[in-house]
Order: sequence, then structure tokens, then C-alpha cells
Amino acid sequence: MKSIVFKVFAVSIALGVAVFALAGSAGASHVTVEVSVPDQSTAGGTDTLLVTLRSADRGVPLASVAVSLYADASFGGVDSQVELGQTVTDQSGVAVVKFHPLSAGDHQISVQYVSPGESQPEVTTTSVSLPGVTSQLYQSTAGVKIPGLNVWLLIAVVATVWAVLLSVAWRVIAIAHAGAERTAPEATHGKRADAQTGSMGAG
Amino acid sequence: MEEMSAWRERLERTALAPVTRTSWAYYVWVAFLLTVIGWGIYAYYRQLQDGLIVTGMRDRISWGLYITTFVFFIGISHAGTLISAILRVSQARWRTPITRMAEFITLVSLVCGALFVIIDLGRPDRVLNVIRYGRWQSPIIWDVLAITTYITASTAYLFLPMIPDLALFRDRLAGRVSGWRMWLYRLLSVRWQGTRAQWHSMGAAITTAMILIIPIAVSVHTVVSWIFAMTLREPWNSTIFGAFFVAGAIFSGVATLIVVMAILRKVYHLEEYITEKHFVYLGYLLGAFSLIMVYGNVSEYLTTGYKMTEGTEFHFRQLFLGQFAGFYWFYLLGGLVLPGLLILLPWTRNIWGVVAASILVVAAMWVERYFIVVSGFRVPLMPYDPSTYAPTWVELSVMAAGFALFALLITLFVKIFPIIAIWEVAEDEESAEIQPAARRFAHGSAPEPAGGVGR
Repeated sequence: MKSIVFKVFAVSIALGVAVFALAGSAGASHVTVEVSVPDQSTAGGTDTLLVTLRSADRGVPLASVAVSLYADASFGGVDSQVELGQTVTDQSGVAVVKFHPLSAGDHQISVQYVSPGESQPEVTTTSVSLPGVTSQLYQSTAGVKIPGLNVWLLIAVVATVWAVLLSVAWRVIAIAHAGAERTAPEATHGKRADAQTGSMGAG
Repeated sequence: MEEMSAWRERLERTALAPVTRTSWAYYVWVAFLLTVIGWGIYAYYRQLQDGLIVTGMRDRISWGLYITTFVFFIGISHAGTLISAILRVSQARWRTPITRMAEFITLVSLVCGALFVIIDLGRPDRVLNVIRYGRWQSPIIWDVLAITTYITASTAYLFLPMIPDLALFRDRLAGRVSGWRMWLYRLLSVRWQGTRAQWHSMGAAITTAMILIIPIAVSVHTVVSWIFAMTLREPWNSTIFGAFFVAGAIFSGVATLIVVMAILRKVYHLEEYITEKHFVYLGYLLGAFSLIMVYGNVSEYLTTGYKMTEGTEFHFRQLFLGQFAGFYWFYLLGGLVLPGLLILLPWTRNIWGVVAASILVVAAMWVERYFIVVSGFRVPLMPYDPSTYAPTWVELSVMAAGFALFALLITLFVKIFPIIAIWEVAEDEESAEIQPAARRFAHGSAPEPAGGVGR
């Protein structure tokens, strides 16, 4: 009975060691990754993400490590990641990447890097929470902004045309007024035409 | 003098005849048109009831007969106002008997064209959303503004020169027509009595309107073309689309004017006033624009074909060799080349030759609009099989109703309003026959309406 308990205990120890050994080979434990954002970050603004890489054992900054940052994104029902940028850590082990979040809430940021002495990239994911607004934040930057070419120009053109059209309408009112002032019955269209060789305009 | 007086009486009698006499053929014609319109209304009711699924339009080809007909009607609206204004500005004397018809074609075609935009909407009750939620950067908003302005200006430009003639109707038809017509003539003649001040005001108004309406008319069809040219579609990537559309509009407009002119001339016996000269002169205009259209097509296809992107190759194949080839070659040869030849050759340069050329042009220009709309949508944007479009009975019925409405409005107009500009024709004839312009003012009774005398 004792031998069975001992065997089970030994197998458990062996499995536990194996699990820890396999986890260590993934590389995550060689490097500590710290991602920080400024406290005043809000959705819609442009911020800098600071990614600090240190060795896990001695806390030495890891310089000249290529770092890629990705953010989780969903579009058209497809979940994927968008690349935020690529850079290299400086002497302090810090990599700086511009971050332009367009929505409030939690953002999953993935940091991909290759540890010194390793050949396979490692990925660490962290969550960044941002306060923000609910209004539409996307602003198209397509096209060229030409000063003065805006809705007011369109309104000015249309208003000018309609003002001229109103002046035509005013002339029609003037015709009606002139007709009202004329009292002589012989001045009507037909009689005038008869009296003047049947001409409307020829006097 | 007596001869002129008799001529004048004959002119008035001819102008009044359509209003005072109605034949049985008129009622048959109106009944036929109303039947077609009624069937179209039923088809549209089915569309409202079941949605746009009853049409041949789907997500990949989302514009079909309706937008084609809209573009066509807006095009032929250039028949009138633009041609009339240009001829008035250039003081072409021969224009006077045809300007009224031309101006009315403009108004009617604009109304019919605008209807087809609403018909194309699956939810016409949301049409005001274009204004409520529209963005000023959108060519559709520009189009709405341009067309509403053009309709207003065209109405003014039709109405102004008609005031003296409406006064003539008011005076001559008293007791001979129904009460509502007399009320209408009294209202629309705005107390016209032919005073010096009234002639002055009318002349100034016509001058203002005719100068204003030319850029408006050009802008309308330019903006219509931009709805296409500002959309990311391979066949619509063109910098000359605006000019091409304006040229095509005048081309189809002149042709429509000639056809309508020929029909009204025959039906209402206007042979004395609308002569072969008018057909030939308008035929020259048609011939000139056929050359411009040929030039525009060659320029467009040569430049895009020289580069021959993948989308262009697909587009060229469908137009010249594929499913659209038959009708497209008809457009190029039957609608552009043959009309030009009919006008160029001396033995076909007559009324029948010009009318035949015009019928070909009208048909071909509708076909061209169809290909611009449908073939443009057919070029795939992504690697998927090209879609197809075939109009359903609903679309064909509604389109037929649109053309019937066009014919009906012209028919009704002729029964109510003066078909020819009586005072302009009379003035033109009298000034040519009796006295030079300088003597007219010596009498001091009426100033020359600006642009209204035509010499």
C-alpha cells in the first residue's frame, strides 16, 4: 500500500516538474513585459504606449529587442488583430508606440518580441482600460482640404441663384402692378394689337 | 398692311385652334396614354407592396431602368431651355416658332425625370431623408439642389414670354372656353395690357432668366454625371464625364425637340410657321453634336483602352464583344454616325431625313444611358462572378408610364396654352416685312423686350 502511495506521489512530482519545464521552454518566464499608458488617456485621443522589457531573473533592461504591438479588433463580424506599430527597445528596455484608440473600454494589447538568445517570437497580452465618449470618433482623413471649399460656398452659390430668380419673380409682380394701374380699356392686348397693325411689340 | 393683318389673324387662329377644337382622335390618344399610365401605376403599386425585389435590381447591379430613364429625361430637358436660351442670346431670328415647344419639353422632362428618382427608391416615404440627413459633400445633394433650381428657372423661363400670349387668350377666348380656363388665363396673364412699363419689366425678366438658365442647365447635367464619376467604378473613372453628359444631353434634347416639333406641326397644321428651314437648322445643330459625341467617345475609349486595366478590359469586352455588343454598336453606328450622315448628305437633308436622324438619336441616347448605368455596375469590384440585370415587367411598365406621362403632359399643354410664341412670331414677321427696328421706337409705344425680338 505504501509503495503505491509512494509511486503515485513520485509520478505526480514528475508530472509537476514536466509541466513547469514545458512552461519554461515557452520563453515567457525569461522576460518580464510591462505595458503602461498615460493616466489621462481617453478614447479618441492619441497616446503613447510604453513597453518595458526586462530579464525575468535579474531585472536587467533588454535593449535592441524588436517589438510589435497589436490590438484586438472586430470588423464586419470578423475578430482579428490590427498592428499598432513596430519598434525597438532602447537602452532602458523601453519601446514607444503611438496608440490611437477609437473606442472606450478594455483594449487587449498583444506585445510580440523575440527574447535574446531565442529564435521564436513570444507574445504577452495585457489589457488597457480607457474612459471615453459614446459619440462617433472616426474622422476620415481622405482628400485635400481646400480653404473656402465648404458648405457655405455651396449655400452662397445656391442663394445667389435663387436671389436672381426672386428678382425675376419681382419683375412679374411689377408687370401685374403696371397692369392694375392702367385703366384705359383700349390698352388690352388684343385691342392694342388691332390698333397697331396687329403687332404686340412693334409700336 | 391688310395683308399683314390677315397674316396676323391667321396666326392667332392657328394658335387658338388647338384650344377651341377637339377631335375624337384627341380623346382616343389621351385614353391610350391614361391606360398606359394606369398600368404603370398598378406596377408601381406592386413595387410598393412587395419591395424592390419585384425589379431586376439586386445588390451588385442596384441601378437599372429607373435611373437610366432619369438620366435620359434630364438629358432631353436640355432640349428646351438651353437651346431656346442659346438661340435667344445669339439672337437667332428663326427660333421664334419653336421656342415655346422647346421650353415646355424642358419642364415636362424634368418633372418626369425627377419622378423616376423617387420611383427608384424602395421607401419613397423616406425621400426627405436626403435633405434631413444629407451631406453637402454628396453629389446627390448637389443634384437635388441643381434639379429643383432648374425646374424653377425653367418654369419662369417658360412663363415669362408666354404672358402676352396668355393675355391674348384671355381676350380672344372669353365666352368660348370653360370658366376654369378663363380663370387660369386671367391669373397667369398677370393683368397684362401691353403697357410700356409691362414690356420693360418682361424684357428685363426674360434677359435675366435667359442668362441665368444657361449655367444652371449646364450644371444640372454636369452634376448628374458626377453621381457616376465620383463613384469608384472602373467605367465611370472619367474626367470628361461632365462635358460628355452635357454634350449628350443637348444632342438628345435637340433630337427630341425635332421629333415633338414634327408631330405637333403635323397634328396642328403649323406648316406655315414651322418650315423645313427649322428642321434643317436644328439638323445642323444635331449634326454638329453628333461629331462632338463621336469625338468624346473616341477620346474616352482610346485613352482608357490604351492603358487597359483589368476592369477596363472587362468593360470593353462586355460593350464591344459581349452581351451588350449588339445594342452598343447600334448606339455608335446607328445613333452617332448614321444621323450625322443623314444630315450631311444633301438628298436626305430635309424634314424626313432630319426627323429620321432624330428618332435614331433619341433611341440611341437612351441605350447609351442604359449602358452607362448597368454596364458600369456589372464590372466586378472584387473577384466574383459578374452579375446580370434584366428588367422585370414592373420596371418596363413603370418606364412606359413615364414616357406616356411625358406625352400626356405635352398633349394637355397644347390644349391649354399657346403652342407657339404668338407675339414673338408676329413681331419677328412684322419687323422683317414692314419696318426696320430703328423706326419701332420712334412710335414710343413699346420697347423691344430684351432678347425677345431675335434679330
